[in-house]
Amino acid sequence: MMHFLLLFSRQGKLRLQKWFLPLPERDRKKIVKDMTTMVLARKPRTCNFMHWKDLKIVYKRYASLYFCCGLENQDNELLALEILHRYVELLDKYFGNVCELDIIFNFEKAYFILDEFLMGGEIQETSKQSIAKSIEASDMLQETMEEYMSKPAF
Amino acid sequence: MPAVSKGDGMRGLAVFISDIRNCKSKEAEIKRINKELANIRSKFKGDKALDGYSKKKYVCKLLFIFLLGHDIDFGHMEAVNLLSSNKYTEKQIGYLFISVLVNSNSELIRLINNAIKNDLSSRNPTFMCLALHCIANVGSREMAEAFAGEIPRILVAGDTMDSVKQSAALCLLRLYKTSPDLVLMGEWTSRVVHLLNDQHMGVVTAAISLITCLSQKNPDEFKTCVSLAVSRLSRIVSSASTDLQDYTYYFVPAPWLSCKLLRLLQCYPPPEDGAVKGRLVECLETILNKAQEPPKSKKVQHSNAKNAILFEAISLIIHYDSEPNLLVRACNQLGQFLQHRETNLRYLALESMCTLASSEFSHEAVKTHIETVINALKTERDVSVRQRAADLLYAMCDRSNAKQIVAEMLSYLETADYSIREEMVLKVAILAEKYAVDYSWYVDTILNLIRIAGDYVSEEVWYRVIQIVINRDDVQGYAAKTVFEALQAPACHENMVKVGGYILGEFGNLIAGDPRSSPLVQFNLLHSKFHLCSVPTRALLLSAYIKFINLFPETKSTIQEVLRSDSQIRNSDVELQQRAVEYLKLSSIASTDVLATVLEEMPPFPERESSILAKLKKKKGPGAVSVNELEEGKREGGELNGGGGERGGDNSTIAASNASTPSPSADLLGLRTGPQVSAAPPSAGSLLVDVFSEAGVNDDGFLSSAPPSAVSEDAAPPLPESNELLNKFVCKNNGVLFENQLLQIGIKSEYRQNLGRMYLFYGNKTSVQFVTFTTTVSCPGELQSQLNVQAKPVEPLIEGGAQVQQVINIECLGDFCEAPLLNIKFRYGGALQNLSLKLPVTINKFFQPTEMASHDFFQRWKQLSQPQQEAQKIFKASHAMDTEVIKAKLLGLGMALLENVDPNPENFVCAGVIQTKAQQVGSLLRLEPNAQAQMYRLTLRSSKDTVSKRLCELLAEQF
Repeated sequence: MMHFLLLFSRQGKLRLQKWFLPLPERDRKKIVKDMTTMVLARKPRTCNFMHWKDLKIVYKRYASLYFCCGLENQDNELLALEILHRYVELLDKYFGNVCELDIIFNFEKAYFILDEFLMGGEIQETSKQSIAKSIEASDMLQETMEEYMSKPAF
Repeated sequence: MPAVSKGDGMRGLAVFISDIRNCKSKEAEIKRINKELANIRSKFKGDKALDGYSKKKYVCKLLFIFLLGHDIDFGHMEAVNLLSSNKYTEKQIGYLFISVLVNSNSELIRLINNAIKNDLSSRNPTFMCLALHCIANVGSREMAEAFAGEIPRILVAGDTMDSVKQSAALCLLRLYKTSPDLVLMGEWTSRVVHLLNDQHMGVVTAAISLITCLSQKNPDEFKTCVSLAVSRLSRIVSSASTDLQDYTYYFVPAPWLSCKLLRLLQCYPPPEDGAVKGRLVECLETILNKAQEPPKSKKVQHSNAKNAILFEAISLIIHYDSEPNLLVRACNQLGQFLQHRETNLRYLALESMCTLASSEFSHEAVKTHIETVINALKTERDVSVRQRAADLLYAMCDRSNAKQIVAEMLSYLETADYSIREEMVLKVAILAEKYAVDYSWYVDTILNLIRIAGDYVSEEVWYRVIQIVINRDDVQGYAAKTVFEALQAPACHENMVKVGGYILGEFGNLIAGDPRSSPLVQFNLLHSKFHLCSVPTRALLLSAYIKFINLFPETKSTIQEVLRSDSQIRNSDVELQQRAVEYLKLSSIASTDVLATVLEEMPPFPERESSILAKLKKKKGPGAVSVNELEEGKREGGELNGGGGERGGDNSTIAASNASTPSPSADLLGLRTGPQVSAAPPSAGSLLVDVFSEAGVNDDGFLSSAPPSAVSEDAAPPLPESNELLNKFVCKNNGVLFENQLLQIGIKSEYRQNLGRMYLFYGNKTSVQFVTFTTTVSCPGELQSQLNVQAKPVEPLIEGGAQVQQVINIECLGDFCEAPLLNIKFRYGGALQNLSLKLPVTINKFFQPTEMASHDFFQRWKQLSQPQQEAQKIFKASHAMDTEVIKAKLLGLGMALLENVDPNPENFVCAGVIQTKAQQVGSLLRLEPNAQAQMYRLTLRSSKDTVSKRLCELLAEQF
């Protein structure tokens, strides 16, 4: 099972954090710090896997963002790489040519999409179509734009 | 700001995020956030009821602020209110907030649970999924209590939508992991297992994670899943790449499900049913065959997915460990990957082969790849791959290739990454011992280990070599000769001195016949190292000396003289002084017979499991070696050592007690050490009793007795950054000396003439108290005679958040180069912390500024014209060349900064006198900046060459 998934920029700014196990805030901060320093220090063209404490770390860079997750010992590293890739594909499908700014400004959407895909650190649905369909369905449930636009901004 | 492509826009939120991104500084960001928090707080508190949209927007802003890393202490109630909204997006944001920020506030949990209950029974699949996600995200015990009964019902109900089933399965898994006692499968078991047959691939994918976890805990109840899993796997493996539609990932059919099926099968032994087993073997063969087929796509996603299945299949083959044919094929496949151009595959192949190496069927096949693996160790550019290669070499080592592997690992150690050296050292030590046919090879290997990576050789390793030498008389002569030779090196590691001292003390007589290693030569060799060693090693050497007196009566007078000298018999260290006094007395009053009995050769040690192995097992993974853990490992032996009497190499005591002859000699030694050998109850402090009782308290602390050495008492070596910390304080007297997550050390100091007073402030940064807090200040080597440092005792207990102060008085006796060491030990939550720093006492602290006119300056400058009186350095500026900053630093140095002296106004000149008790040393300084080249030339002249040199070194680091 996956323990955590972090998205951070090349400058080490955290863009998304998903914890699949309850951890005290202090431990989370420590993990974020360790992951950013370790991953950002890796040279190009090294392998995508590392050991850290008793977890396997799998990471991959997409444009300016690093996707990094912590796995248990019996988990499959290659498949974890593909989980990261599938998530990128899902974001891309939703936002259309996704970039870091999309994730900053629509962070809540990034979390919702992740929730459709993973749950409790395990994969829930692998079909891109199914996930896209359920995200679309929930978008349909939203009130019309006009309804919102009539509200004051602040 | 990008246009939101879909869905609702919360303009206020976007503006706020934009504002935060535009903040130029952390302060501006905090200011903006505080403004926003005040605004939201007033909205929430206002009389006017907020509409759902505003509530959602503010909750979302709070969430954003929290995710930026700021604390949020309100808004929970508003988020809970959102849960009962009938607008989807409001509910969704409410749930997201709860998932991310929930704390087990019981009042709120009750409200949250109510909302979840409503959504679960709403029969609206989207709402049900949101509720299930929330349960899985929070996963608290209270939620398990409320819903563990309901969720299995949802999971197996006939009319549940597929997407809800998927969520329910994983939600149940989460609850099972939190509170297994609350999730009772009983009646549901078989219906859950049959989800493996579900039409919907997504449902199977989600359900199998649950089934795997349940099978691990209750294999018997779930064993029917084996045949179902095999048939499902077989259908996937044999399907064409397009059969599974969207569950085909880059031309690979259902890779996630395939891997999970293979993982589930690893919970069980090979199927007993012949037909099922046949079908499974067929699947595994197909997977292995597919690896040889040309790829259907050039995309890395295709090969990753395909190889993920392959590696999982190989794991299953290794797990079964019963099909020699498949094992060898797996090994060959991994062999191909070892040479693959993808680093990831090389990494995984090395990792996977490690497990394969332990199977009797494939061990030989793995060994054929030895050259490739050695090559990987030498040439891989990625440290994590090299690490795996080292692991594999360790795993594939046996009697036939041990010498080659150990030699390769030793040569790799010379350049190995610091992070893995200690583990490598342990591995080499274990292999050398395990496969030693002739023990001279073993001794050579360990001594090489100490020579190459002495700092990383832990006590366990050098204890072990001593234990083995003592137990095998065929290697003793060789060992004595080899350590004697190793000690000839001008600079040898302290661990080498320890081993050398111990072995020569026991077996020096075996090489004493050769005039080149006569007793006196041996003694002089050992004693030449004495002054460079730490206290525990010196203690060990003193024991070796008394053994020499017994072995070689002709050395008696020389050694007695050494023991009698002030630096021994009046040593400031109690332990050393005590040994010197007692050994001197023992050697002068005991008869030869008594001496021979007391100082008899060490009896063999009882055979035990190597504690090195225990230590390696303790290390969870590379990179996980924290100081704590190491301390933990040492503690079992070390704690009992609290008596303080027994340190470093008390061969004699042990000899006497082990032989269990209640001779007068035992008594004699009993005087010397605190704990009595035979009578004492096994309390803390009575080390020997514990060690020799067979109770096994110390089972893994093998030599924990032999040189019942300092183990945890040893001061840690100074932190690697301690020199840097020292440099920070050359030009200033106050500041923070050191800080980690637990402890902060602040420093304030003042100096007058040759005297100084330093205040250290130890601050506990945690909320837990530090106990047995002790600090020791020591002056290594020559410094003892140059500085007189006295530290006042410090409170042994520091409450969480509290600070204690320690006063240190310093007297400068003569000029010096080294810095005193400060060692700090304390227990934090049971773990011993041990760290050493350099106290920032540098020679320039004792400067008295001297004002003088230009004429005087140059006259004195000329007087100090002997070449050794001058020290000069030309170096690149490491900070901006700002005149004011340079001036401030020079003033901080303690000299007088002389204006209008140097003809070139860009240059700086200073003068001062260093005050020591023995003498005064006048010093002149000239610093010539070259702004264009960004270089400095620094020249120092003083009446004493060592002072010029040291000042020059210190200053060159400052600009």
